[in-house]
Amino acid sequence: MPAPAPAAPTEPAAPLLALQGVDRRYPGGLLALQSVSLAVQAGEFVALLGPSGCGKSTVLRLLAGLDEPSTGTVGAPARRPGPDGQTAFVFQEPTLMPWARVADNVALPLRLQRRPAAEVDAAVQGVLARVGLAGFARAWPAQLSGGMKMRVSIARALVTRPRVLLMDEPFAALDDITRQRLNDELLQWWQAQRLTALFVTHSVAEAVFLSQRVLVMAARPGRVVDELRIDQPYPRAPGWRHTPAFAAACARLSAALQGAAVAG
Amino acid sequence: MRLRTTLLLTTAVLASAAQADDKIVFATNWKAQAAHGGFYQALVDGTYKKYGLDVTIQQGGPSVNNRPLLPAGKIDFLMTGNLLHSFDNAKNKVPTIAVAAMFQKDPQALLAHPGQGHEKFEALKNAPVALIAKDGQFSWWQWLRVTHGFQDAALKPYNYNLGPFLANPKAIQQGYSVAEPIYVENQGKFKPVVHLLADHGFSTYSTLIEARTETVKNKPDLVQRFVDASAIGWVNYLYGNRQAAAAAMVKDNPEMTVAEMEASVALMKGQGIVDSGEAAAKGIGAMSPARVRDFYEQMVKAGLYKAGEVDLTQVATYQFVNKGVGQDVKARLTGAK
Amino acid sequence: MSGWRATLGRAALPVAVALAVLAGWELLVRAAGIPEFTLPAPSRVAQALAEHGASLAGSWWYTLKITFGALALACAGGVLIAALFALSPALERALFPLAVVLQVTPIVAVAPLILIYVDSTTAALLLCAWIVAFFPILSNTVIGLRATDPQLRELFRLYRATPWQRLALLRAPSALPYFLAGLKISGGLSLIGAVTAEMVAGAAGRETGLASRILEASFRTETPKMFAALVLLVATGVLIFAGFNALSRALLGPWHAAESSRPH
Repeated sequence: MPAPAPAAPTEPAAPLLALQGVDRRYPGGLLALQSVSLAVQAGEFVALLGPSGCGKSTVLRLLAGLDEPSTGTVGAPARRPGPDGQTAFVFQEPTLMPWARVADNVALPLRLQRRPAAEVDAAVQGVLARVGLAGFARAWPAQLSGGMKMRVSIARALVTRPRVLLMDEPFAALDDITRQRLNDELLQWWQAQRLTALFVTHSVAEAVFLSQRVLVMAARPGRVVDELRIDQPYPRAPGWRHTPAFAAACARLSAALQGAAVAG
Repeated sequence: MRLRTTLLLTTAVLASAAQADDKIVFATNWKAQAAHGGFYQALVDGTYKKYGLDVTIQQGGPSVNNRPLLPAGKIDFLMTGNLLHSFDNAKNKVPTIAVAAMFQKDPQALLAHPGQGHEKFEALKNAPVALIAKDGQFSWWQWLRVTHGFQDAALKPYNYNLGPFLANPKAIQQGYSVAEPIYVENQGKFKPVVHLLADHGFSTYSTLIEARTETVKNKPDLVQRFVDASAIGWVNYLYGNRQAAAAAMVKDNPEMTVAEMEASVALMKGQGIVDSGEAAAKGIGAMSPARVRDFYEQMVKAGLYKAGEVDLTQVATYQFVNKGVGQDVKARLTGAK
Repeated sequence: MSGWRATLGRAALPVAVALAVLAGWELLVRAAGIPEFTLPAPSRVAQALAEHGASLAGSWWYTLKITFGALALACAGGVLIAALFALSPALERALFPLAVVLQVTPIVAVAPLILIYVDSTTAALLLCAWIVAFFPILSNTVIGLRATDPQLRELFRLYRATPWQRLALLRAPSALPYFLAGLKISGGLSLIGAVTAEMVAGAAGRETGLASRILEASFRTETPKMFAALVLLVATGVLIFAGFNALSRALLGPWHAAESSRPH
């Protein structure tokens, strides 16, 4: 029996991830973000949807502590002193170290934290099993397909048992079949580990399928222009993609994107 | 009428053919210097022409190696510095042979700074730096090592630049006793100590003329003419008017000066390099098989060769020298003084 | 085909060509009656090799010592200085032009001076060979240390890696292919540098190398001996090339595009 989806909190407890009136201006004058405010509660799955150049990757990097706002405030565990490994990042490319085997790639975050070897080995084995790569610990990245490399990248992200999972169009380079399968599994991992997930994509269907809330962004300058709640309980069956409700949500979001493109 | 014209033309053609000089190329072992003076003299004062020779003198130099040109047939005669080259050729069956020896003494010498304790030859082996060029490194330096105790550790390559020697008072370097000391005095403003290797057992002839064995066999008259003309050239150079020869050498080697060459000639005469011993009696270019054999045996003792390794009959031929060529010219020039 | 049989099969063609060349050379010398002091036949060279083998072996060993000694110093110096440049861009700007000057100065012109100024002939020879071998390693390693994947760099930042962890776990492995490319070049150059310096040094010093023996044989018109020493030098060059190729394959084989046996 599918478990009911964790209810999104109705009253605003302190959000785990937040941007308040953030501008990000690059030297040379490019305004990547203008007055962006958004919040993600603990345990939520939120999608950031928008065209290229709308600053969605910048939002992720600000939340990961890899970038600084020009004005405004950013709140996230990665930006506060404290144990690291709380925030994990999955890039659009698998970003594996080609000179290391799968197990060593996955073990990297724990090794950087100087965890004892036995603990590292156990954690790596466990997470590889969870992402379905149990027998591939000693494989080289060069031997893997695109989808498998992405699983390794996700395994690496999950190995530290993070609170926050930031993902920047991770499945964009994969074929549709692999992408859909990974979408399904991602939701399982999110539920199992009680992650807070912020998922950047330019695919309307993916945003609708995965998330509880979709934030629509526009480009030039980057800003949030719309928000849509997706009230479909989890687990979401693959068949849900072919329902009218799904199509309606997609249409609504597409319209919002169009409008933003015309107005922007 | 037509018969007479034909006869005249034929005679003219035959006569000019008979008068055509033999074109030969003579390669030296260095840039033009006083030690080549006799050959240039014979060239510019018409002696070679008188002997029916159209000679081209091809200079050697620091980075030029003329030696392979002789067996290869690119030149007709070659100047070599000592008998070791001839021994090597005979040992390796290279078909060349020495036909005359213009120098009775090898001017190869070691130079040292005065006042460094290098006034005695025996002290030289302890010099910390010995500047020796490639040619010497693989020939007479080996003799110095074995016979006189010099050490390879002190050996440093000499690149025909006086700088390192002038800068280091404890250094010694190679040179020709009739040349380098003059340059050292000009540049370094001091008279160097000069040790002639010939005074310490290096008894080779020097400035030899080498020819291909086939030339000696097939054109002995040509060889004889070249040897004779060269000997007379040397007599004229040493005892006669050198101005034209000096000018010719400066033209070939612009870095040379007439003053340096004059000083060199004085040294040549004073040290008996050219015209002494056998040459004084039998003419410049004289050679004797006894002296060649003696030198070879010394080199065997020094470990450069194994006994019997070299066929001495292939080293030199004595058929062209020891005939007193040039003695009359010398008598005329020196008697007139 | 497995292992050694495959290797043997692959080697058959080049070996056949080599034998054909040697046979042609032998026939040419005999048919044209070329004297051995001009061009010795292969059989004569082999004879000289056997005759002088013992003494040439000593010189060979000396040349090997200089070549590999200089190469080791070039590696150490090149990697060390490249690491310093990686840590301090200002230092790199200041000193890189000097390195370039070293690279372009013809060793043939400088070797005589070095041999005069440096007391020990062995040290002078090492220095000459080092000058020639040092730059490719430095230049390639500098590029390699800069060639880290920017996203991997961000990943390391995310997990708060220390500078040492960054150097050891990210920059050094990234630089390895470039370093090995430089090493392959420097191996050959080190031999050339040693030979050039020996040619200038001649008989100087307590021990002399193969190039010095080549000079000596050339001056004494002992051409077969000269060729014998030359054969040993060429063999050394080939061994160096093959050795570093094997090293590169061993270290990079499983994962780097340059060494991967998969068609691309």
